[in-house]
Amino acid sequence: MKTKKCSKRLLMYEIRNVIGNPFIAFFGTVFPVMMLMIITFALKKEVPASMLKESNTSVFITMSLIIPMAVILLGHSANYSQELEKEIPVRMQLFGFSTNSIMTAKIIAQTVTLTAALILYTVFSYAAVDLQVPSLSSALCLVLCLYVLGIFFFLFAHGLSNIIKKFGPTYTICMFFYFGIMMLCGMMGIRTEQLPKSLKTLASFIPMSYIGNDFIDFWQGGSYNFGPMIQAFLFFGALCGLLMIYANYKNRRIIK
Amino acid sequence: MLLTINNLQVCYGSQTALQINDPIYIEEGERIGIIGSNGAGKTTLVKAVLGLTNYKGSIRTSLKPEQMAAHMQFNHYAATMPVKVIMETILDTSIRKNTQLQELISYFEFEKCLNKRYPHLSGGQKQRFTIIMVMMQNAPLTFYDEVTSGLDFETRQKLMEKLSNWYKDKANTLCIVSHYYSELEMLAEKILILDQGRVIDMGTKEELFGKYCGRSVFIVDNTDRNHKLLDSYMKLAAPEHLLAVSCPDLDTERKISELLIRENVNFKRSDNDIEIMSTNAKAVYYEKEGAVK
Repeated sequence: MKTKKCSKRLLMYEIRNVIGNPFIAFFGTVFPVMMLMIITFALKKEVPASMLKESNTSVFITMSLIIPMAVILLGHSANYSQELEKEIPVRMQLFGFSTNSIMTAKIIAQTVTLTAALILYTVFSYAAVDLQVPSLSSALCLVLCLYVLGIFFFLFAHGLSNIIKKFGPTYTICMFFYFGIMMLCGMMGIRTEQLPKSLKTLASFIPMSYIGNDFIDFWQGGSYNFGPMIQAFLFFGALCGLLMIYANYKNRRIIK
Repeated sequence: MLLTINNLQVCYGSQTALQINDPIYIEEGERIGIIGSNGAGKTTLVKAVLGLTNYKGSIRTSLKPEQMAAHMQFNHYAATMPVKVIMETILDTSIRKNTQLQELISYFEFEKCLNKRYPHLSGGQKQRFTIIMVMMQNAPLTFYDEVTSGLDFETRQKLMEKLSNWYKDKANTLCIVSHYYSELEMLAEKILILDQGRVIDMGTKEELFGKYCGRSVFIVDNTDRNHKLLDSYMKLAAPEHLLAVSCPDLDTERKISELLIRENVNFKRSDNDIEIMSTNAKAVYYEKEGAVK
């Protein structure tokens, strides 16, 4: 028996594992579209017709942030913490799969699912709602931000699961972050500017609040000061990275 | 030598779960039965050899971790897809194209379970699922840790028969951990007796039986009448409800059997009863230890 590498079969297995989770299917594909439809429908009555397209687009950008959060933050934490609780990774190792092969397959599977969910969301949104067409650079900027966020959420979900190793508490913490981020970043109907000062300060450390509130300003071109957003990305990334490093440290093998 | 374990110590917190002082040698093709009650250190030993737990001491082997296969006490798999997909992924093969795998699936009557999800399988089906994949690994060293735990008597017997028949002419080294003495009688040639994290003894079934029980044993119900009947013979340590008598030679064996038949007493005669053997091995071990103290 040889050490098994990240094969096509292992990849397909991990993809099935991700999409077989009903949390991911609902929160990653149905929920953002549902929220977009509900909010844009409500906006029709409140926003002047001339501003409707821009408002809809703003909602579209904001709701796109739900996808990496649902697929990776919630999805990976739910799947992986359950696997750890049932010692499935150990079982896979005993069948000859290295930790690296499993991790690689998981990362690729998450990327494929995130991409598919984003494509579905974009196609459905542009088909069903009146939206502005972005400039190429703005669209690429949003896509890049969503994937970088995906990496951070993966580090967070993976690290937290590895520390707690139980589905219940891991999923509760991730849900708390999910709804907390949604509230702070204007995804629950309240804009960040409308929040109390302390929460506004907290939101300034989260990159999603910049994407949700500011990206509409340069969606069809124009300039934007990326400084504060990059700082928020660095802060958020460092936090997630540290969590992952701590998880690896906690789970290191000690040969006495 | 396939595996040598020496001066091994495994601790969980401040508690020593396993302490092996004298070397244990496992040679190629051997069938080792590891026996002991709860907390004896059986699973800890398997985990240490597989590198799943931290330990002090030495475990030397020419095998790489991936050359060891293991059926652990608890085996879980993803619930998000049918077991067929899991099996094909783990074995990196297609059931349709792999005749050896088809043969094993049919041998274990698992065909109808392939499209079910793991949580929907029964206890016996779950065990068979892992066994099929462990067997397909065809590893030089394979561990079966309480492979029949939680199964009813009939399913247990059937499963052990299948395992025993499958490995009959094969050269794989097996380490079988079990609570059930009858399972080890079927599969093991050598027995490693553990108790409270310590090695009580290790040897072939015949060696150990001769050492602790004599030529053969007679086992009867533990009643006053039977005690009186067998008063002049050498008693062995036995579970509370049983009375075991040792026969050092054929002549004694004849005398006891005639006596028991004449007195119409139900009895069991055995020259390989692992339960009586391990009970007496433990009794001797602790007697010696007490004498040393």
